[in-house]
Amino acid sequence: TYLNDFWEKGRSDGEEQSGEQQQPRASPARPSFGKKQLPSIPKNAVPITKPASPAAMAQLANGTHASYGPFYLEYSLLAEFTLVIKQKLPGIYVQPSYKSALMWFGVIFIRHGLYQDGVFKFTVYIPDNYPDGECPRVVFDIPVFHPLVDPVSGELDVRRAFTKWRRNHNHIWQVLMYARTVFYKINTMEPLNPEAAVLYDKDVQLFKSKVVDSVKLCNSHLFDQPKMDDPYAISFSSWNPAIHDEAKERMFTHKRRPEDHQKGLQVSGLSWVKPGSTQPFSRDDNPPLS
Amino acid sequence: MMMASMVANGNRDGRQGEALVLKGVDPETCMIVFKNHWAQVVKILEKHDPLRSNTSSNMASAVQNYVEHILFLLMEEDAGQAGAMGPILEFVVMENVMERLFLWSLRRQFTDDMKLEQLKMYEMIVGQARQPLLHHKPVLRPLMMLLSSCSGTAGPEVEAELVSLLNQLCCVLAKDQSVLELFFHTSEDQGAANFLIFSLLIPFIHREGLVGQQARDALLLIMSLSAENQRVAQHIAENTYFCPVLATGLSGLYSSLPTKLEVPGEEWHCLHREDWLQMPTLVQFLNSLEFCNAVIQVAHPNIRDQLVSYIYNGFLVPVLAPALHKPTLEEVMTTTAYLDLFVRSVSEPVLLQTFLSFILLHVHILDTLVHILDTLSRINTPFQLGTVSLALFQTLIGLYCEDVMLQLILRYLIPCNHMMLSQRRVVKERDFYSVSAAKILALTPSCCSPEHSPPPLRQLDSILWSKGTDNKTEETFLEEDGSCYSCVIGSEIYLDVNYLHYLYNARLGISSCTRACQVWSAPYDGEDPPPEEYQPSALEEAGARGRQAQTVNPKRSHPHPRPRPPCPPQTTDPAPTNQLELEWDDSYDAGPVVSLEAATAESSRPPQLPAAEPPKHIQEMRRTAIMLVKGSYIEESDFQDDVMVYDLVAKKDARDTVDRRRPSRETLPESEESEIDSEFNLEEDHFKESSLQEKDEVNSSEVTKGSKEVKAHVADHNSNLQSPSAEVGDDLMGQYEELIRTLGSDEAGTGGSSPVKTVDKEFRNPVVTPMEEDEVDFSSFSMDTPELEKPHSSLFGTNEDSFSLPVGPFVSVLLSRLENMLDNSLHVNLLLTGILAQLAAYPQPLLQSFLLNTNMVFQPSVRSLYQVLASLKNQIEQQASTKKDFPKLITSAQHCLLARESSLKGQDTNSGDSRECSPLEAGRMMKSSPPPQPKTISLARTEVFATVLFTEFLKELAAIAQEHSILSHVPMEE
Repeated sequence: TYLNDFWEKGRSDGEEQSGEQQQPRASPARPSFGKKQLPSIPKNAVPITKPASPAAMAQLANGTHASYGPFYLEYSLLAEFTLVIKQKLPGIYVQPSYKSALMWFGVIFIRHGLYQDGVFKFTVYIPDNYPDGECPRVVFDIPVFHPLVDPVSGELDVRRAFTKWRRNHNHIWQVLMYARTVFYKINTMEPLNPEAAVLYDKDVQLFKSKVVDSVKLCNSHLFDQPKMDDPYAISFSSWNPAIHDEAKERMFTHKRRPEDHQKGLQVSGLSWVKPGSTQPFSRDDNPPLS
Repeated sequence: MMMASMVANGNRDGRQGEALVLKGVDPETCMIVFKNHWAQVVKILEKHDPLRSNTSSNMASAVQNYVEHILFLLMEEDAGQAGAMGPILEFVVMENVMERLFLWSLRRQFTDDMKLEQLKMYEMIVGQARQPLLHHKPVLRPLMMLLSSCSGTAGPEVEAELVSLLNQLCCVLAKDQSVLELFFHTSEDQGAANFLIFSLLIPFIHREGLVGQQARDALLLIMSLSAENQRVAQHIAENTYFCPVLATGLSGLYSSLPTKLEVPGEEWHCLHREDWLQMPTLVQFLNSLEFCNAVIQVAHPNIRDQLVSYIYNGFLVPVLAPALHKPTLEEVMTTTAYLDLFVRSVSEPVLLQTFLSFILLHVHILDTLVHILDTLSRINTPFQLGTVSLALFQTLIGLYCEDVMLQLILRYLIPCNHMMLSQRRVVKERDFYSVSAAKILALTPSCCSPEHSPPPLRQLDSILWSKGTDNKTEETFLEEDGSCYSCVIGSEIYLDVNYLHYLYNARLGISSCTRACQVWSAPYDGEDPPPEEYQPSALEEAGARGRQAQTVNPKRSHPHPRPRPPCPPQTTDPAPTNQLELEWDDSYDAGPVVSLEAATAESSRPPQLPAAEPPKHIQEMRRTAIMLVKGSYIEESDFQDDVMVYDLVAKKDARDTVDRRRPSRETLPESEESEIDSEFNLEEDHFKESSLQEKDEVNSSEVTKGSKEVKAHVADHNSNLQSPSAEVGDDLMGQYEELIRTLGSDEAGTGGSSPVKTVDKEFRNPVVTPMEEDEVDFSSFSMDTPELEKPHSSLFGTNEDSFSLPVGPFVSVLLSRLENMLDNSLHVNLLLTGILAQLAAYPQPLLQSFLLNTNMVFQPSVRSLYQVLASLKNQIEQQASTKKDFPKLITSAQHCLLARESSLKGQDTNSGDSRECSPLEAGRMMKSSPPPQPKTISLARTEVFATVLFTEFLKELAAIAQEHSILSHVPMEE
């Protein structure tokens, strides 16, 4: 259902999002980053032989692990990302950047409370020694008026919730969850924005009006170019039927697709095991003729 | 004259020419011509009764000439208003033209030529008439008489024409089912068996060439008709020999296959398309098997079930089973290769099920062993047979079949007895940080590590890579979900590009396997099925119960008293486990290579009968089948007798006592031409078979008795592992944890980078909620646990003790063969690592955790894949340190394998046999089949090739582990 919310939100605000963020395959042609690129993983390709320079060899001196390290990091982050998907955090959307798996773009929709109607874009920075380093950082594109958000940098104080980042215990979805929670449960202890903290404690009305102003400000910049020049950065644009209708259609139809997909599949498993039994060929009925 | 030649040759072009001529000629004229000609014919027929006077050939050809003309007119006539008969047809029906013509020919000497003439006549009018003719009895009846007179003894020309006409009739039937009723009725008039056209086709089922093909096509048409028409189905199943002929025909064809294959080389391990295309007898067998497959696909369930049961009881059990127990290795190897090919050729699930239940559950009478295990134990023979068996198992595992996996592996893992109790919760745990992959890759021998090996195998280059983007061919469900990953390694680190391919293949393999396993009955995740309910003792009881139920209720009950595949009584019996555990303890591992005889003797197996010749009943069965295939098959009117025989056999199967045989035989009405005895011998076979089965049961119970003693012995030996008593188990756990604790405290000081604080604490308080803020250092848990490895490593090298029963014989044998990797030939290692990689791609947590989770703590008796790999690494390091030229050899081996890989790539694109090449295998780097002759290094240097392969295998496993950490955790729906 979160997709519905997503779209309702977009419409009621008179703002329309491009479906592109959810569909990176439809992203614009990638700029060259000046690095050698493997555009696709070729099937059955023979590894290309290329002599190694002595300098290259030297870099590998610290053992086999080094050469696979990036794969471990990449898969750790992929695993984190699948967890985020699994969690289905309400009103939160993230997407790893094109340039680095360590940087994720996100947007959060606040649906009620003081920050209702707020749409805040943010970036998650993950330390490159993940998961053994500090906790990931969350920086809002525009510093929201909030006791825990730095009024200059826009960084959210995440570390108070994750004093020590522990592998297997802590996951990035928890950070995202936390980023959402702070807008519903205001905490003024040790604030990064003392003004906001003081106002909240002393003069809630003024705090509220400042929040409303801040939400307006953020929303007014919604259609701005993304802060980061990255093909997978989240960008909003006004509704353009030529682009968005099709994307919307796809989003609403894709739920049916896996089943259709399965029917057409040639490769399929076999089972004649009666559920609850561990005996082969224990099912009473004949296998269906498919 | 032109007409005559037209009919004689069946020349359609000629007809077309005539049609043009006829066009525009008005029906009245045609009718007049027709009547005229017919009057001439009648005159001749009346004047020259062939029985009284010799008909001159002149007269015959005159009649022939007229007949051709009138038939042509009949053919060209359009139907009347509202489907009424045209006037010519009406005349034909009224005057009984066809029957009179037929009778006239019959009264002459009814030679093959005349039959041919008549058959062609009908073929022409049935195929080309513009109005339905077969609805009219005066047309149909003489046709049926003709057909029945053609059955039996006829020359090849007549046969060909007969089949061609039958095929045509079947096409008409398929289009217009209303004719069907008429076929049945007309046959009844004849007093002959029902549905003659079907019966007539049966003898041609196994024919070679066009005739056979046409007959099979025609039969398939009737088969699909049977799916909708209960009457046809019932008739075929109850009153014809169709299914037995089909099944025993397989036996007959099988018997003409070479009993020993001429194997091209030592590396050969399975019959590829190129191989069997060279063998006409095998092609013919596969044609018939394919036909069975097709029948099962389209026919009515009654026919399908009957056929399947005959294939089981008429081919697999009496023919293939003994063939798998032949005295010489080559013969058994050949049979195994055939079996593998058959399994690969069959696609219909029901038929596949038949083969699989034979492979997995059948007990063969000769040595009273469960078949599969017998076959399996051959994996460990150092001969080619072992390789062929491996190939068979690779095929089986590639089926994604729950029953196969259950029987081979999962049932041993379900009780979770292979792991420490505390580890059960780990089964489903996800490896977030590629810890297992890292541990596996860390086993890379130093001589092969990227730093040391000159790079023919890897590209040193910085990589920027992303997944699921502009690669259109990579359609996996993740991308379909719209949940895309775009992750980039941006750092300037030199990477093993080769590894990307492994990741990609792992992804494909796991996705397709996961998708396939959605039809499975349980997730096998350590909770479902619940381990408590499937402890060995409980299983035995359940098995006994199941067995009882089995005898009372046949698996697939027939609506009518048909011969059932007497389900082998051990179908649901897990009890033989203990026998086979012994059986599996391979002599190969124990010491120097031994001869098969010695191995057989050693493994305390009852000695095989000196089966120089197959048992008598099989010989008879074969003879029967050959007769059916090659000789004639005449449908007699005594099908009822046949049914009675079947019924008696069924009763026999239901353990009616032995002495029923004589009386039951006497109750058989003697058939008029008692051909049934001499020609078919089916009843004989059935009786023999059933009595054999009884013997079988007796034997196996004896064996069970015998094995109990052995079992007790085993239990003694392993009492600490297998004891069902929870008390003992707990005690053991306590001891083990104690051991860990002491080791942990010893090691604490030297324990590497991360401080190993409180392993035991973690074992006691293992459940930690994600947000919990306690101080347990999980890095000690997941990254390096040297103290946990201690008890394991101490087990290395003591094969006897570490031979692991708790994970089942299949995995144990695979691992023990893998342990010999350095001595194995390259192709054996390719198969072994291929099978293990295939197993590792299965998404079931029980299997995954056993094969890939390097953090799992197993029972001390269990040898894990990781341990085997670790011991291999040590062996390799040892070799590398003692041999000076090892690095050079490694490089040449790499070059050699690489060259082979690219040469195979060319071949791969040519052969489109997809089943020979699982998705997992499709792109496996350097791992396919045997190499061409290497230039610089001899294949005899197995340790060198094994080292290279080992390194690649590590990458493959690591890649699979990494992909599992992502793929297996994304919900499939949505």
